[in-house]
Amino acid sequence: MPDFTDNLRPSQPDGPTTLARERQQSNIATEELGQHLLGSDGFLERQARILPIIQQEPLFSKDQQQNLSRPERFKLGVARAKLLRRMKDTHKWSHLEYQMAEYLVDDVSPYFLHMEMFITTIREQASEEQQAHWLPLIESWKIIGAYAQTELGHGSNVRGLELEARWDSRSKEFVLHSPTLTASKWWNGSLGRLANHAIVVAQLLLPDSSSPEQYVSHGPHPFIVQVRDMKTHQPLNGIVVGDIGPKYGYITMDNAYMLFDQFRIPHSAMLSRYSNVDPNTGIYTKPEKPALVYGSLTYVRSNMVHRARLVLARAVTVAVRYSSVRRQFQDRDGDKTGPEMSVLDYPTVQIRILPLLATTFALHYTGLAMQTVYKNARQEIEKGSFNSLAHMHSMSSGLKSLCTILAADGIETCRRAMGGHGFGGGSGLIQINNDYLSKPTVEGDNWMITQQVAAYLIKKMTAAVGSPDTPGIDETDARFKEFIRNKRRPGSKRPTYDILNSDLDIAYDAYEERVIKKRNWNSLLIQLHKLSRAQSESIIVTTFFDTLSNDKALSTPIKSVLWDCYRLFALYTMENESFEFLRTNAVSQIDLSSLASRVQDLMARIRPHAVKLVDSWMIPDYLLDSALGRYDGRVYEDLFNRAHRLNPLNRITFNPNYWEDEIVKGSGGDGRGILSKL
Amino acid sequence: MPSPPPDWVKALKPSGPQGSELLHQERAQSNVDVERLSELLHTKETLERRASLLALLQPEKVFDKSQNHTLGRVERLQRSLAKAKRLQQLAEEHKWSMQELHAANDLIGEPTPYGLHASMFLVTLREQGTPEQHKLFLERAEKYEIIGCYAQTELGHGSNVRGLETTATWNSNDKTFTINSPTLTASKWWIGSLGRTANHAVVMAQLFIDGKNYGPHPFVVQVRDLETHQPLDNVYVGDIGPKFGYNTMDNGFLLFNNVKIPHVNMLARFCQVDKETNQYAKPAMPSLVFGTMTWVRANIVLDAGGVLARGVTIATRYCAVRRQFQDRDADPHAGETQVLNYKMVQVRLLPLLASMYALHFTGRGMMRLYEENQSRMKAASSPDQESRGAGPEQLRAGANLLADLHATSCGLKALASTTAGEGLEICRRACGGHGYSSYSGIGPAYADYLPTLTWEGDNYMLTQQVARYLLKSARAVLAGKPARNDTSQILQAYLDRRDKGASFDVLDEDKDIVAAFGWRTAHLTFEALKHRDAEQRSWNSLLVDFWRLSTAHSQYLMVKNFYEAVSSPDLSGALDPETKGLMHQLFRLFSLHTLEREAAEFFSSGAVTVRQITLTRTTAVLKLLDDIRPHAVKLVDAWAIPDWHLDSSLGRYDGKVYEDLFRRASEENPVNDLVFDPYPWNSALLKNEPAKSKL
Repeated sequence: MPDFTDNLRPSQPDGPTTLARERQQSNIATEELGQHLLGSDGFLERQARILPIIQQEPLFSKDQQQNLSRPERFKLGVARAKLLRRMKDTHKWSHLEYQMAEYLVDDVSPYFLHMEMFITTIREQASEEQQAHWLPLIESWKIIGAYAQTELGHGSNVRGLELEARWDSRSKEFVLHSPTLTASKWWNGSLGRLANHAIVVAQLLLPDSSSPEQYVSHGPHPFIVQVRDMKTHQPLNGIVVGDIGPKYGYITMDNAYMLFDQFRIPHSAMLSRYSNVDPNTGIYTKPEKPALVYGSLTYVRSNMVHRARLVLARAVTVAVRYSSVRRQFQDRDGDKTGPEMSVLDYPTVQIRILPLLATTFALHYTGLAMQTVYKNARQEIEKGSFNSLAHMHSMSSGLKSLCTILAADGIETCRRAMGGHGFGGGSGLIQINNDYLSKPTVEGDNWMITQQVAAYLIKKMTAAVGSPDTPGIDETDARFKEFIRNKRRPGSKRPTYDILNSDLDIAYDAYEERVIKKRNWNSLLIQLHKLSRAQSESIIVTTFFDTLSNDKALSTPIKSVLWDCYRLFALYTMENESFEFLRTNAVSQIDLSSLASRVQDLMARIRPHAVKLVDSWMIPDYLLDSALGRYDGRVYEDLFNRAHRLNPLNRITFNPNYWEDEIVKGSGGDGRGILSKL
Repeated sequence: MPSPPPDWVKALKPSGPQGSELLHQERAQSNVDVERLSELLHTKETLERRASLLALLQPEKVFDKSQNHTLGRVERLQRSLAKAKRLQQLAEEHKWSMQELHAANDLIGEPTPYGLHASMFLVTLREQGTPEQHKLFLERAEKYEIIGCYAQTELGHGSNVRGLETTATWNSNDKTFTINSPTLTASKWWIGSLGRTANHAVVMAQLFIDGKNYGPHPFVVQVRDLETHQPLDNVYVGDIGPKFGYNTMDNGFLLFNNVKIPHVNMLARFCQVDKETNQYAKPAMPSLVFGTMTWVRANIVLDAGGVLARGVTIATRYCAVRRQFQDRDADPHAGETQVLNYKMVQVRLLPLLASMYALHFTGRGMMRLYEENQSRMKAASSPDQESRGAGPEQLRAGANLLADLHATSCGLKALASTTAGEGLEICRRACGGHGYSSYSGIGPAYADYLPTLTWEGDNYMLTQQVARYLLKSARAVLAGKPARNDTSQILQAYLDRRDKGASFDVLDEDKDIVAAFGWRTAHLTFEALKHRDAEQRSWNSLLVDFWRLSTAHSQYLMVKNFYEAVSSPDLSGALDPETKGLMHQLFRLFSLHTLEREAAEFFSSGAVTVRQITLTRTTAVLKLLDDIRPHAVKLVDAWAIPDWHLDSSLGRYDGKVYEDLFRRASEENPVNDLVFDPYPWNSALLKNEPAKSKL
């Protein structure tokens, strides 16, 4: 319906004018930088090809999704996921193309666990015979699966899981049983309403060889279990399973609870590539390397490290564009005649957004490095060598902890830097914030898993102290030994701003406290967390530095702004941890006091390129789903359109009088209609 | 709702020591007298009033909270209006005071669509209306015959009030004002209660008389028909859509296409347009109003303590019930360790426990100063503030005690709301995976609280005002003016000793802790002054320094207020010596933890040495964590937040965490009514419902 608001325009200079000016003032070639970041495996080309196909489908319109109830929103999520899977067939998409489509639609897929952990676990932990049976069923989606490890009472402590799988030697079956309420599986994605099969991790109980009536636990093991009827989709007898209810985010995921009552599964259900129970003797064969059981977790963690960059890039894109368009107050020292200042020209806004812009690149290079380490380690493992496993596990844990925290906190910092409008649905940062905030606690709580890094580093340091003069067996070992040798040399001086190596002192301190002074582990936890963080920061900074140093392809303008981003990331990180650097002599007091002004200078240098730098991440408007972050800068028009035209609330009229129970005018009801639905 | 689970499920119990046993043990190991501490914090009457309100509200079906997190936006808002109506009916029936209504709304746990009517609309009419306008608008508003809101913020302008674009043009010929929105960015935006509920609004608009702009002024404008509730002609109004939180509030937009209102609709207690001469007149602002902002901010600081207490209560109780891993150094047959025993959990939660007390005592301190000052000013006949301009920055530094607090309170508002907002998120994450469930009760509270970081002055913008005042005070001290208030005194103390250096014994002397915080503020103030005055750096380039300065000063104020509260005779009289000692330890934990986090600034200002900081970190803070740990549960119990208010499975007083999570998931979760067809190639979505065209 046309009305007088159709003729209103935002006050000048408007968003498009401002962004055009921003783009003119920088000589960055966004296409080149975009290709450098995302071109290597055809990502950008795929994005350009799949996007129009997705946008054509009405089901993928994002207009109304924020208004739906949880059941409706979940149904929409399932409907979309089904359609996407069918489109994979119609369009003959490769797996990468299909992933691109999912990425653009931006729902957490309710089939995620089927496609990831379920199939990965079968590939990695099922015997060849089991794989031959299950993989075709999974790949053709004849069965839908999930992965059920975490329980109501236990998450981080996998060994504490309570669900039992007891071997019945008479019937040659395992009996799954939940002895307590806390043994209920909990949080398991895709299982609440969708899956009919699941990998279930349970304590393997076998008869004690000396007294067969007694059972001994051999620790948690994976079993593949059918949980719902293939026809009716109702839970099988002896299983109670359902969705655990509303969450902070992940609204399109049916995280589950599941309990078993003396539920029998065949011997073949136990995934037996690494460990096995002999069906005739009941004798247990151990895995060669127990840590392998958690192999898929390492895979998930390294993927999370890699994905963090695009998540943060999205938030930073929105924040940079909006804070360029948004104007507020005139410059106090200016002549007060021009337009108000772009909010992005305030150092108090810059210091929140620009270091995060630099962080997107830091995360990018680290993500790539992590992928390489994972692939190499995997290849070695397939060849039967387990040397790199501990290193990979430690690196993926430390980086998962740091990178997901940087991205999660970064989204929220960007959202708040946008003031009031950042709080609105038009910011485009709400679902991403809600969804991503699961990351710091999922797949290993960020605080808990840093212990694994610290334990690894203390072990390495102990070894280095033991024989500092032998050649290093790997990179960490070599660095530690060199550090110890230097430490013995009196009067050795560290270069200024030594961000690359300050983790060594912290690792040494931790070694000293735990190994020499025998301080108890719990009292050291805070220090150990700092150690893990310092080491992961050092990896990120080193990787960033090495990549830029070795690059020969980038054009000069891009290279120089990326170097500034490197410096900003490194110095900003130092400033945040400045006391740590001071204490370890990695920075002098004079350098420390000049950090703040160096950071501000770097921000001033990066500022003119900010819009072009975020443009280079090439995130389509459809994915951003943000009035504030639109490429064309039509921020206010879009906000108004969403409020005025797309908002279903504006189609109902309230009766505001408190003495009348009627809520919606003309409904004639007494308000009970609303309650009766509940 | 789904049918209840089978008997074998109902028979299951959580493993190991039960939550109720663990909390019982926690409560047995501490001597804190929870009741006395509660009364000290809240007063006996407040606690009793809350208890009787709770008994009244909880049984009413309309206030049921179980579906809050599953409903769609439209339904949620409808329910919220139903709650608001019922509350108002109860208020009438039981003749509640404003305080009681406020307390009841607090228990309901969500903002309602009447929220801005009951607060800003009534307050603005009362404070800025003339007696004639009170009769015309206020009396009807108090009876809810008209329902209003306060429309200031626009699509294009929030912090910069002077930049508002809505205009009110005086028509001398027919003695009316024309309200108009010349651009799209002039649209009012974020206006609470306006979207679907209000029929009136106080509209802030640029007053134009004869082509001259007199700045933003308040006008009462009717926006909807009192019968049909439809927008009036040439008024465009609606709800702005879904938000991060606060979804039970209908924040609105509002545009005017040259709408005429009568002369009497300009709120005229302080400024008016003379009907006969067409002249603008601005009588002197009475000084009593000048403290209102301080009072509002004191409330935000006090509320911040309560909001944080909600998160800390949930996280502390849950971490006492949750057990994970055996202690690496303990007997392997011992059970798993309570998560609250982990140092890395303590270091996140216990400083927040200390912070909620710090915020509470700081808010109380501000409030007391405000009240003392109000009565003193009522007694004195000639207030010295007659020439005050628009903002707090215009105050003469050192004029009186409240002026000092007034100028610095914006920094406290920023620090307090940031501490509470971020603290809730830390609490949520400290609860691990279960913190992510809506049943944790923390996420929803966080989402609803976040706007506080932006409204009443964006937290980053506000810090400029504090810096401006501190610079002004520093110039006065340098010019040799006598130090008559606290700010001037810490600046003077720094000047007196700056060459000799400080030697604060922060590890052993509580008083020295306060002094060290003051020293740091003074150091940063003179540094900033050097940049601005001697080096002539631009204001804009110093904003980050100002923000740090304001944060430092606000931390000083909290430390000082906390110290004064724990050393006061009131507190000694009310508490047993052991609990009193514990309050001192909370003060020390709050202060030393802050000092450690801001170590670089304390070190570079010369307030403390690297050795002191290292000892603070490795010894003093850890020792305080050990000392406070056994009392943690009782210290949150003392806040006396009812379970119904917490609305949390994890934070229940009785510790039945797992039972409650399971009950809600299996019995209160409508998703479990849906039976899906899981296969992509079957386009039917559900097996127990015909496919709908809706999606």
